[in-house]
Amino acid sequence: MEDNIAVSLKNINKKFVIPVNGKKDTLQERFVNPFHRTKYIEFQALKDLSFDVKKNEFFSVIGPNGAGKSTLLKIVSGIYIPDSGQVVVNGKLVPFLELGVGFNPELTAKENVYLNGTILGLTKKEIDEYIDEIFEFAELKEFANLSVKNFSSGMAVRLAFSIAIKVKSDILVLDEVLAVGDGEFQKKCFNYFDSIVGRKTILFVSHGLEAVKKYSDRVLWLKEDKTYEIGDPVEMVDKYSKTF
Amino acid sequence: MTQNDIDLYKQLVKTIFKMRYKGSILGFLWVLLKPFFMFLILFVIFSATAGAAGGLTSKQYAVYLLSGLIIYTFFNEGFTWGMNSIMDRADLIVKINFKRSIVVISALTMALINFIINFCIIGGIGIALDIKYLPNCLAYVLLICFVMFLGMYGISFFTSIWRVYVRDLTHISELVLQLLFYASAVFFPVEMVPEKYRFIISYNPLAVFIQAVRNALIYGEITHLKFVLASLAFSVILVFIGKSYFDKHILKIAEHF
Repeated sequence: MEDNIAVSLKNINKKFVIPVNGKKDTLQERFVNPFHRTKYIEFQALKDLSFDVKKNEFFSVIGPNGAGKSTLLKIVSGIYIPDSGQVVVNGKLVPFLELGVGFNPELTAKENVYLNGTILGLTKKEIDEYIDEIFEFAELKEFANLSVKNFSSGMAVRLAFSIAIKVKSDILVLDEVLAVGDGEFQKKCFNYFDSIVGRKTILFVSHGLEAVKKYSDRVLWLKEDKTYEIGDPVEMVDKYSKTF
Repeated sequence: MTQNDIDLYKQLVKTIFKMRYKGSILGFLWVLLKPFFMFLILFVIFSATAGAAGGLTSKQYAVYLLSGLIIYTFFNEGFTWGMNSIMDRADLIVKINFKRSIVVISALTMALINFIINFCIIGGIGIALDIKYLPNCLAYVLLICFVMFLGMYGISFFTSIWRVYVRDLTHISELVLQLLFYASAVFFPVEMVPEKYRFIISYNPLAVFIQAVRNALIYGEITHLKFVLASLAFSVILVFIGKSYFDKHILKIAEHF
């Protein structure tokens, strides 16, 4: 693979097999009716998708619900395995499909920083080093020993965001988490993004088309019929906007 | 194994530990209280009849019962928590790509911690009743528990995956563990079981382990050594086979929650 490629996908196919009447996981079904075969429908989430993301490129993915955007991010993140095709990731990739993964409401904010931080790939030593900065950025210093269940959802997400930006990575996978919290905090988030744009590879999924236009170098438009187009952000967003 | 893997493992164990007793007034004491009361109830009811049938003094029966309960509890918790480990952390597994086996080992570590604490009760009771344990026998007991730990670790590599696909497994394992409680002669001597059913106990590995622990603690004898060593070899193999099974099947697990 070329040196300036961060993520490379070749001919990716992903199909999900879904039982028609909900989950059919209990043995009861098989006892009651051993010859009955559960009906499954197949759902093709991604079909023959290929693209490369260059190093330090801001690459966005747009498209309607069910076009396969989230599936794509999970495949790039290594959470799903494609049925066929090849995924190559060059560098340390950190997925932010959701902020505050593993947050436990019963634990204190500080305990959650350690828990969430290690889940995201930080070591304890690194967190010891960053913890003050994290609470500083989140503006939650005086709440460090409070249970997260007593936090407003805005406070929790601010804390989560502040941890996430401390994780060392070459490639960020972002699912709709660009800016969180109230107006003032959002400004801080955008400042942060401005500072990393061009310095990290970012794979971004969003329905916020303005942000896509503003930041992206290139845009992948996934369509409902499983075809796709890659191109200039303004052109792609305009074309996509005309479909609804 | 990276530094992050180790730190994550510690964090997960800490979290499970904190969560289990958070908010309860006696908190951590419950680890000790639950088996202790179970012990007390069974002891009061059975010490006269069961002890006599097995030719045990009431002191000996106390150790007999306690070691049975504690070894059984270790197996019960290790098996159950190991099996549920992947399912219980579905929230993480669908969002982040980390080393999945950390979840399994941290669940088992929890069972091990409980066991070590419970094992201290055996020590405490021993001192209270003035029973002397031989050091080599205590070491043998720990060897047996190590073998069990490895065995449960190996089993969990399979059951944690199956648990996601077959939701009935929780109920099945509850039933089996309940039966195992009786089939392991936890609170009654083997002599109380009719002759024609005793094969159940002699072919039950858990019962053999419990028996070996009892012989070591009560009589200061090392018995079933061959079986324990064979189990050790078997458990090591099981861990290796289990790990490769786990690594192969874990890749697809995120789609099945």
